[in-house]
Amino acid sequence: MRSVYRLLLLLYPASFRRRYELELIEAFDDARVEPRYRGIAGAALLWRYLLADLGTASIRQRWRLTREWIRQRTGGGLPHVPSQPRRSFMETFVQDVRYALRQFTRRPGFTAIAVISLALGIGGTSLIYGLMDGFVFNPFPYPDADRLAAIGGTFPRVSSDTTYVEALSTPEYADIKRSRSFSSLAAFDLGNRNISGGDVPERVFTALLLDDLFPVIGMAPHLGRGFTAEELAPNGPPAAIISHRLWQSRFGGDPAILNRAIRIGGATASVVGVMPPGLIVIGTDLWVPWGADPARMPRDTRQFTVLARLAPGASIGSANAELATIAGQVQQAEMAQFKEYEGWRLTATPWAAALLQDVRPAAFVLLAAVGFVLIIACANLANLMLARATTRHRELAVRLALGAARSRIARQLLTESLLLGLAGAAAGLVLAHVGLQFADALIPAQFTMLNLQAGVNGRVLAWTSVMGILAGLLVALLPAIQATRTDPHDSLKSDGRAGHGRSGVRMRSALIVAEIALSVVLLLGAGLLLRSVMKMQGAELGFEPHGVATMRLTLPQQKYPSGEAITVFFEDLIRRTQAIPGVTAAATVSQFPPMEFFSSRIEIAGADASGATLPTANTTIASRGYFQAVQIPLLRGRLFAESDAPGGPAQVLINSTFASRYLTGKDPIGARMRIIARGGPGPWAEIIGVVGDARNNGAAAVVRPEAYIAMEQGRDAWNQLFLIVRSTQDASTLIPAVRAAVASIDPEQPVYNIQTMEEAIAQSAFQQRISAMLLGIFAATALVLAAVGIYGVMSYSVSARTQEIGVRMAIGAERSDVLRLVLLQVFRLVAIGLVIGIGLLMAAGKAISGLLYGVTPSDPVTIGMVTLTLGAVALVAGWVPARRASRVNPIQALRYE
Amino acid sequence: MRRTPRDEAPKALSQPVVHILLALADGARHGYAIKQAVEERTQGAVRLGPGTLYEAIQRLQDDGRIEETAARGEEPSNGQHAQRRYYALTDQGWDVLRDELQRLDAIVAHARANPKLRKGLV
Repeated sequence: MRSVYRLLLLLYPASFRRRYELELIEAFDDARVEPRYRGIAGAALLWRYLLADLGTASIRQRWRLTREWIRQRTGGGLPHVPSQPRRSFMETFVQDVRYALRQFTRRPGFTAIAVISLALGIGGTSLIYGLMDGFVFNPFPYPDADRLAAIGGTFPRVSSDTTYVEALSTPEYADIKRSRSFSSLAAFDLGNRNISGGDVPERVFTALLLDDLFPVIGMAPHLGRGFTAEELAPNGPPAAIISHRLWQSRFGGDPAILNRAIRIGGATASVVGVMPPGLIVIGTDLWVPWGADPARMPRDTRQFTVLARLAPGASIGSANAELATIAGQVQQAEMAQFKEYEGWRLTATPWAAALLQDVRPAAFVLLAAVGFVLIIACANLANLMLARATTRHRELAVRLALGAARSRIARQLLTESLLLGLAGAAAGLVLAHVGLQFADALIPAQFTMLNLQAGVNGRVLAWTSVMGILAGLLVALLPAIQATRTDPHDSLKSDGRAGHGRSGVRMRSALIVAEIALSVVLLLGAGLLLRSVMKMQGAELGFEPHGVATMRLTLPQQKYPSGEAITVFFEDLIRRTQAIPGVTAAATVSQFPPMEFFSSRIEIAGADASGATLPTANTTIASRGYFQAVQIPLLRGRLFAESDAPGGPAQVLINSTFASRYLTGKDPIGARMRIIARGGPGPWAEIIGVVGDARNNGAAAVVRPEAYIAMEQGRDAWNQLFLIVRSTQDASTLIPAVRAAVASIDPEQPVYNIQTMEEAIAQSAFQQRISAMLLGIFAATALVLAAVGIYGVMSYSVSARTQEIGVRMAIGAERSDVLRLVLLQVFRLVAIGLVIGIGLLMAAGKAISGLLYGVTPSDPVTIGMVTLTLGAVALVAGWVPARRASRVNPIQALRYE
Repeated sequence: MRRTPRDEAPKALSQPVVHILLALADGARHGYAIKQAVEERTQGAVRLGPGTLYEAIQRLQDDGRIEETAARGEEPSNGQHAQRRYYALTDQGWDVLRDELQRLDAIVAHARANPKLRKGLV
């Protein structure tokens, strides 16, 4: 960090630097230990502040010096020097561009390599930036999308997470509405609804609205109108608004759709509007008023997502301050009855960030990674330019001797590399455009559902141009410094090799070390992610996914109004599925691992409820055969039996984490617990058995306590369950027979979300897999670039040392000695780069550790593999120049002397 | 090369410069202590980045308003002072600061005379 700052101080004029450099660095050290600059966020703050300061101060300084210099030249008593006719800025610029283009055409190979490597680097950053722009920064087509906030609740007594999707109750929504920080608010519940009346029944992801959502997101219907106040009121006339894609796919884009009646979940509603294409809210395709009276909903039935638009003059910060006050008032008034309000918080967060908070860490890691690739590409190009600057040394020396200003020559070099940067940016933009076409393949299913679009837009274009210019500046920096240091006396006297060549090699070696260090960071990152994916796949799941197919059914409430009707349907379905040849077990369940589970508050009989957190558990409704179907072992007691009839005493099974967390030191069998949900506690249920832990919180997370409720007992009947089918054959070949079984009970009943359990598990590790793949590609690119860099520097160094090697051989060095000499030099660079790279990754360990599973950033296996890979690549890259050195003919080498 | 102090009518001093001079009026300080004193006094409203700070110090030094001194002001909390350079006001620096404060005082006095502004000032 400090060395970076020291390097940046080069921006200041030398006179200033000489006087204050030490003190500036001390000031930097002092600032770094200030509390507000601690941690990663603090470091970012510090750098923003330092860079702004550095930028303005250095420009002012240089401007002052320039003014003084001009004053001296114009007013000073120096003898008149005949100068070239003054050229305007534009004339000079055009001249420089012409000269640069001539240089490029004279060396097409150099130009091609330069443009291609920059295009790879810039194109990569533009691709990732484009993805982030489409999926993370600006995912919505709404006007002023950044003024849209999600409001979520955190209940520390229940859990420490803040949920922004489906987390608040209608009374809490009414509390939030008291706030004056928002100009409009809406809340919605999410659910799936079956639409029928066409050829096949279809299940549609639906938002049930409390207040009008469309003015909040700022979008008007494409056809028809929004909801009226009457329609939004409890028990108003049934109305529906559909998405553009549903309109196209199901109704063939029929313009006569308005006022047509469609059947939603068995009831009839009239279509009043069609929304424009694009993402409206979390991939929902159907919007209907919620219908019931919100005033009659209990405080602890939390099923609503609250969206709000910030009022003019309000900010997320001011809104949060007001929400904190409201939460405090609610806590005072309601805590006696609802314990979860103790210390609860309401927070507003930008909607895009709330929705996509899970992918942000991976996205930033990838953007940083691809930035490294770009820096490596720039370092490589700077290396090529330095090599060229050395061969152009005499030309520059002659120009200096003839009176060219050093600034003029630096400007010439800068123009050249800026042109290269812009050419690279143009080519990179094409690459990014092509890459973004395949963006859908790069993103997980849950995001294709969101209907997000990524493509080249104005922001991506601006980003790419900025990257091109930055790359050009970065490339020009070292060659320009070197060129302007040229002393025409020395250069014209010598043959351009001795002396100057040495400092050139040093500068270029430093670049190589930097390239290697960054490659090491990328290789380590890719390696760690790969190991995480492997560990995840090999992780003990607690159940056997192989040979299991899963699918989802949602029974319409109108058709199956009672828990009994629902249970009868599912029991019948299980029987018919089990009869299919090849099926060894069938069961239904409300959620299955490794998906993230629905959880409820629970109460355990005789337990002290005054603890810091109220106990919660995943509550799963499972049919009797579920444990056999997914092979979750029974550890103690017994499973559900046929004798556990509806109406009998309530019974539950728990997993072993439940037993160890909530029933320590007690016999779990026979203990009693109850679920607190939907307005009050359920009946007391007896724990009859303990089953093994299944990964019920995602494949990479710790297992949560879980309680299983028998579906057959008919309590808490859910109309939306998964059918789990285990078979001896390929699970997917069974699907037609299962569909037929469903249709034989109810031909109108759709089946959806069909996937094998193994697919579901692979999907849950998606983020790690895709990050590992992309990082792997970046790391490979970085490695190739670094290898080219090593080759270039070593070749140059060998040719600069030809005479020295000749002398060594003339006085008796063997070819193998020379080979070793050169290779040792390569390995020294690699070793330094390796150490720096490992250090960098450790320092950045926090950023990546969230993506890791079962490995730490200092994983010795990964470090070992990276060391070996890098060593092998360096050996290959260094071998050719080393061999060339060992083949030097001493007689020829010395003849040039 | 050294800048020669220009013989111009005294111009208004820039805000960072006033604050630096004020900080040094309390006693000799090293660079970072000046920055901290200024931030403390203004409650963070005036923030001097290292570049801005030393740029101003360079100017003030070149113009003869402050000078390096062997005298130590207050001991820095972390005890690192071996290499630090301490700056103190020169006589000229005191004069300039007094002039500036008089100038500001005159402005405020003038403003106080205006009844519409008085409420915000008193």
